[in-house]
Amino acid sequence: MTTLHPEHAHEPESEIEIRHHFDDDLDDIRRGLVAMASMVLENVQRAGVVAVENRLDLVDTVREADLPINNLYQRLEQRTFEILALQQPVASDLRFLIATTRMLYELERSGDLAVNIANRTASQHGFPQIEDLNRLLARLAKESATVFAQAIDAIANLDPEIGINAEASDDIVDVTTDRFFAKVHAHSTELGLECAVELSHVGRFYERIADHGVNVAQNVTYVMTGVFPDGEDIDGPE
Amino acid sequence: MVNDMPDATDTTSETPAEAVSMYERIRDAEPAPPPPRDLTLETGIAPASAGADDANPVIIDVRDLNVYYADFHAVKDVSLPIRQNEITALIGPSGCGKSTALRSLNRMNDLIESARVLGTIEYHGVDLYGKNVDPVEVRRHIGMVFQKPNPFPKSIYDNISFGPKIAGYKDNMDDLVEETLHKAALWDEVKDKLNESAYALSGGQQQRLCIARAIATSPDVLLMDEPASALDPIATLRIEELMYELKKDYSIIIVTHNMQQAARVSDRTAFFSVEVNEQGQRTGHLVEFNPTRRLFTNPEERETEDYITGRFG
Repeated sequence: MTTLHPEHAHEPESEIEIRHHFDDDLDDIRRGLVAMASMVLENVQRAGVVAVENRLDLVDTVREADLPINNLYQRLEQRTFEILALQQPVASDLRFLIATTRMLYELERSGDLAVNIANRTASQHGFPQIEDLNRLLARLAKESATVFAQAIDAIANLDPEIGINAEASDDIVDVTTDRFFAKVHAHSTELGLECAVELSHVGRFYERIADHGVNVAQNVTYVMTGVFPDGEDIDGPE
Repeated sequence: MVNDMPDATDTTSETPAEAVSMYERIRDAEPAPPPPRDLTLETGIAPASAGADDANPVIIDVRDLNVYYADFHAVKDVSLPIRQNEITALIGPSGCGKSTALRSLNRMNDLIESARVLGTIEYHGVDLYGKNVDPVEVRRHIGMVFQKPNPFPKSIYDNISFGPKIAGYKDNMDDLVEETLHKAALWDEVKDKLNESAYALSGGQQQRLCIARAIATSPDVLLMDEPASALDPIATLRIEELMYELKKDYSIIIVTHNMQQAARVSDRTAFFSVEVNEQGQRTGHLVEFNPTRRLFTNPEERETEDYITGRFG
């Protein structure tokens, strides 16, 4: 089991593990975050199928799949709120709960962006199938999903290293996004202005999803170390 | 402007084969339409309204409780449905009547000559103050743990066996002692010194011994009057964790000065306050009774908010 306090699982001297149920509550939230992030990732990939393959039949599915994500967001936020109010968390427990409220926001926004991708595709009744453009969009979708999947690993394993290295993965997405914009620009006559704008939005949404993934991973780093990657030490200068 | 952008036609980094596999990857991601989700089942995260719901039956039903000590009106008009397998916390400032209300629940006020208890307190539907009800029998079903650990000046073993022996327990006493000490999460710490004096234990251990003694006679309700206020923070958290375990088998009512303790441990919280009349007499009354999560995040009454946020009076 991945917990904030792994050493605690073996506390020997007493039959009572102090704050055992509190630890369980925190771990419920961690698992809830992983579940929510996985649902978002699934929908991000589904939205990619819509945009890349013009699968307009899946647009409603993407929209509907966002509803349980929003429900889970509210449930997890409420739980976090209650633990903050009732359990007087400090140190890593407090950092985890504060970071949870931030991560929930990042995940929820990512879920909305998946819906936006499907909606933009639907508004154009599907994008013109231009092969090199499609291929680059597929690549962008995959790279963005990869950054997001790393963020899920970070939460699942409470791994601070992923957040430290996240900017590098994000740089790859940024480069692909710029290439995608250039490609849209190159095909702008063929696409027409409105369609080119919508496609650019889709590219931007994928770039944003990767950014949210990076933020999530960095929040995990903050939970585990007390410092954001490249952030200021919370203890202040030495 | 186009020249500032990365070369749009540069495809050197993606061979056609690679591109196909990426494309396939997206394709693979195409799922069947998602099944209807049961979020609670899938994630273990129940909707916010769950938790201290009204599913647990009322075990002690307090209605219009008024307690007098001679002319002094100590507790006024308290109605409080206590639910089974829950921890109910009574909080409030000094003199608000919370301990008096607690002691009414197992007729401890009978021991005070001038005390008068009005209203009804039903336990499993039986009026605890009914004519044919034996207060000793009441206390066997509704046990009590006090503020200061007060073990008998006897061995650890005898502290546990004393109550059952008096009650005529016939089965294997060793087994009962062991089982009871396990329930109180004390067995591992005392199993090698059962015949030593209970006074040799630490304060926290003594208090857990008193909890063990209270449950040895198989009550189903435990009353706790400030059970951790004489203990250090770690011993306090141990008692709280123990309460959390015990509520699977018992219903617990705890009086505490420590609001944070009530917040941490209880399912429902009753907030009592006090009114002072012209003669300077302080009469306690119930201000709000709600699920703890509600009371500490969005209390119904302004007076509760003022007290729990430290802006009282």
